[in-house]
Amino acid sequence: MTRGWCKEYTAASYTVVMSIVRNIAGITKGMSITFREMLQPTEVENYPDGPGPTRGAVLQERFRGAHELQRDENGLEKCVACFLCAAACPSNCIYIEAAENTAEQRISSAERYAKVYNIDYNRCIFCGYCVEACPTDAITHGHGFELASLNATNLVMRKEDMLVANVGMPGQLAAHSDSLK
Amino acid sequence: MADVTFTVDGKKLTAPAGTLLIDACRKAGIEIPAFCYYPGLSLQAACRMCVVRLEKVPKLQTACTTPVAEGMVVTTESDEIKQSRKAILELLLGNHPLDCPVCDAGGECELQDMTFKYGAAESKYVEIKQHREEQQWSPVVFFDRPRCILCYRCVRVCGEGMDVWALGVQNRGVSSVISPNGEDHLDCEECGMCIDICPVGALTSGTYRYKTRPWEMNHVATVCTHCGDGCKTTLGVRSVDDGSEIIRGDNRDKSGMNGDFLCIKGRYAFDFTTREDRITKPLVRQPNGQLAEVSWEQALEHAGMKLREIRDTRGGSAIGVIGSTRTTNEEAYLLQKFARTVLNTNNIDHHRTADYASFAAALQGKAGRTASLRDFLTAPAILLLGNDATEQHPALAWNIRSNVRQNRARLYVANHADIKLHRQAKSFLQIPQDGYAALVQYLAGNEAGFDGTEISAAFREALRKEESLVIAFGSEFRGRDIQSLVDFGLGLPNVKFAALGDYANSRGAADMGLMPDLLPGYVPLAAAKHFGEEYPSLPSAPGLDMLQMFDAAEAGNLGALYVVGSNPVERYGIDPTALKNTFLIVQDMFMTETAAVADVIFPAANLYEKSGTVTNTYGDLQLAKKAADKAGVRTDFELIVRLADKMGADPKKLVPFGRGVRADMGQTRGAQSGEADRHAVWLAANNLEPKLSPFDPFAVFDEIQRLVPSYNVSRFELLGGQDKQTRSDLVQIELDPARRDLVLPANDTLFTSGTLGRYSRMLHSVMESRTTKPAETAAD
Ligand code: SF4
Ligand code: SF4
Ligand code: SF4
Ligand code: SF4
Ligand code: SF4
Ligand code: FES
Repeated sequence: MTRGWCKEYTAASYTVVMSIVRNIAGITKGMSITFREMLQPTEVENYPDGPGPTRGAVLQERFRGAHELQRDENGLEKCVACFLCAAACPSNCIYIEAAENTAEQRISSAERYAKVYNIDYNRCIFCGYCVEACPTDAITHGHGFELASLNATNLVMRKEDMLVANVGMPGQLAAHSDSLK
Repeated sequence: MADVTFTVDGKKLTAPAGTLLIDACRKAGIEIPAFCYYPGLSLQAACRMCVVRLEKVPKLQTACTTPVAEGMVVTTESDEIKQSRKAILELLLGNHPLDCPVCDAGGECELQDMTFKYGAAESKYVEIKQHREEQQWSPVVFFDRPRCILCYRCVRVCGEGMDVWALGVQNRGVSSVISPNGEDHLDCEECGMCIDICPVGALTSGTYRYKTRPWEMNHVATVCTHCGDGCKTTLGVRSVDDGSEIIRGDNRDKSGMNGDFLCIKGRYAFDFTTREDRITKPLVRQPNGQLAEVSWEQALEHAGMKLREIRDTRGGSAIGVIGSTRTTNEEAYLLQKFARTVLNTNNIDHHRTADYASFAAALQGKAGRTASLRDFLTAPAILLLGNDATEQHPALAWNIRSNVRQNRARLYVANHADIKLHRQAKSFLQIPQDGYAALVQYLAGNEAGFDGTEISAAFREALRKEESLVIAFGSEFRGRDIQSLVDFGLGLPNVKFAALGDYANSRGAADMGLMPDLLPGYVPLAAAKHFGEEYPSLPSAPGLDMLQMFDAAEAGNLGALYVVGSNPVERYGIDPTALKNTFLIVQDMFMTETAAVADVIFPAANLYEKSGTVTNTYGDLQLAKKAADKAGVRTDFELIVRLADKMGADPKKLVPFGRGVRADMGQTRGAQSGEADRHAVWLAANNLEPKLSPFDPFAVFDEIQRLVPSYNVSRFELLGGQDKQTRSDLVQIELDPARRDLVLPANDTLFTSGTLGRYSRMLHSVMESRTTKPAETAAD
């Protein structure tokens, strides 16, 4: 009977010892990663105290941020006010008013341009459908992400807020450029 | 014709022999694509999209030119057919610009739909596409040549449908091009039918081009506000800062009496709604003689107080009311009820353009004798007396032309001028301008007073042989002449009549009793027993008519004049100083000659901005739906009720709203409280109205249907958008033979529309652009 107890005791202490050993091995393995990583250079982005225009934030190319309205190589607006983005938008947040280009005032290269182009960022879900829908690649997702506001009325972006700067030809020159005729 | 049985895609179909295969298939729900085929126009077989396989025929056949035959076995979809259609599309797209994002047709383009269906999106051509600049052919018609697929629909609708022949084809083969009759511009009726019928975006409309896209608009089917034909027009509206704006008129809803047709006014002349000089604030004349903007409350208070004061001191007979020919029936009815029960006066009139009262008197007790506009599309024979329908009743002219073309209807025309419909007439009789009465006598067999010739004898002979005839007569006929015309007509076997009056609701204004001697439904004042309950204090003496009112004003006997949507100062050439001692209230959209001398001006909504019913000149009752909206204006209905309220009258007596059982706020559907809004939506969707508001026109329509038996048509169908013919036999009147003839025809042309037309820039630009100027007409 004593022997039997002894045998059982031995078996139990063996289990305890083995689990301690396993735990120590686990911790060692875990800590080895920790210690190894401690010696690597820091990878955390230092937003918002980092350098550059994004203040340290690093964004993937495919990131869908605030929209940009693009211009073509002549500096004219690419958007032709086809309303396809507005039709595609699941949250119905794009508002466009179209107007006709005239010889004196040429805004886009087609017959029509967007006189008003608003996106309501209260509602936009950054799904990118508008970008998919656009036949002229006029609307794209930029990388702007600091969109929070304490005043919801500030969140309706207008064309002027989204249109990229005219870095091609100045508008006047573009309007008379032969390549458009 | 006898029916034949044939098989399409394994389905047994039956159709009358001679039916075109494409029509028979469409009727059975089998869609066959077609660019050039258009029902009602001649066959072209130009596009080859409709090809089908007929058993035992070696090549694919065009369904649009093949009549069905007994035992025919047809396949409409197979790989072979698909391939053939795809090839056609590839050819069409060979020089087609990739314009869809800016093209007006994008989203409702038949070429887009077909390309989408058959997947011929890529072009096999490598040559550079030939571009041509867009051309402007008229203020309303633009042509973008590379988009044209040469289906010739426009050529045919303009020639066959409109009988204008302004479009044609130049050159042959691949260099074919659609061109206008004036070399670089169009000289035509500017109806825009070609634009509407173009399956692609080649012909575009000057008023709509590049404004928006079809899916961005709401589409409201309502009734045109211009002439007396009552075309159904679909208005495309979108919201803007100050309400909602109409940007397009078309007839995508072809269920109206006008079918495919709209004239220039129905299609384009809605631009008066957005003019910047439209009055949008109430104006009251100040002690210094100037008009100043005031609040609604002040203006209504001021007008109500003055009216009340004049009524109480000088009596109702010192107040006059002039109604409109463009307001709804409910508004016209309410206006005369307001005049008669609140102002206590029968001094009420409107600008009469046809003698509907004599017409009603002539037809009383005769059932089924009034012709609907639809009847002109099917009648085997038509007699047109007077009136130049092409100019004054364009939809009537369209229906007549279609009937002559498609059913070989026999058209008889008697006119003092050589009108355009002469070209469709089987028989044409030119008579002196004052010869209409004598003509009717002559037709009835009384030769005296008419210089009969062989032509006129043949004319009469042919007419008498007609088994079934509809007679339309212009405002040349009044009083006794109408009676004798009707007497003559009733002597023929099966005759229906139509009196042609000029404005959208001229007929309704007369039917609704905007007359000093007649109540709604042409009930004489003396026979108004059944009006007792609704009209407790009806004055029994006939009031002053339009001209007498102005005479009274001149003599200083008219204390106040209330003018709703009318411009009598201009129309009747009244000297404005005649009104200097009269307190004048005007409800209008613009500063008309009458409004300019008013003491109070209320900015009013037009027919496109309100709901209600209107009656065209043939007596067809239709529902007008609110399409547009303009901040600052109110409907005439609301204004009348508010004015009555300010005068201390009980609005509930004027508009029977909220009567009897309490309104159903959804209980019948087991709805919980708080669902009222959603319930209202449900009611609206089912064309029902909770009559909870004193501004609800349908509460007044209830009363109209109760008191005017001829208007007691099925509301279910009426509110569902159908036109319902009012009945002529239920009218009971005895007209005073000495009744004054006050009919003043508007003599509008295709490009004028009374005062309203003056405020349409589009109509002006079309008129200015024309090389052949239309005849001068009254400026109003
Ligand atoms: S990203 Fe999506 S939700 Fe935002 S505007 Fe574009 S389509 Fe609309
Ligand atoms: S952004 Fe693109 S899709 Fe949107 S309206 Fe402009 S062109 Fe069309
Ligand atoms: S006509 Fe049709 S297919 Fe051609 S550009 Fe216009 S929308 Fe596109
Ligand atoms: S303009 Fe339009 S309707 Fe006329 S032929 Fe060309 S595609 Fe057909
Ligand atoms: S025919 Fe008369 S009702 Fe029809 S669209 Fe023209 S003006 Fe309007
Ligand atoms: S529809 Fe038959 S050929 Fe054009």
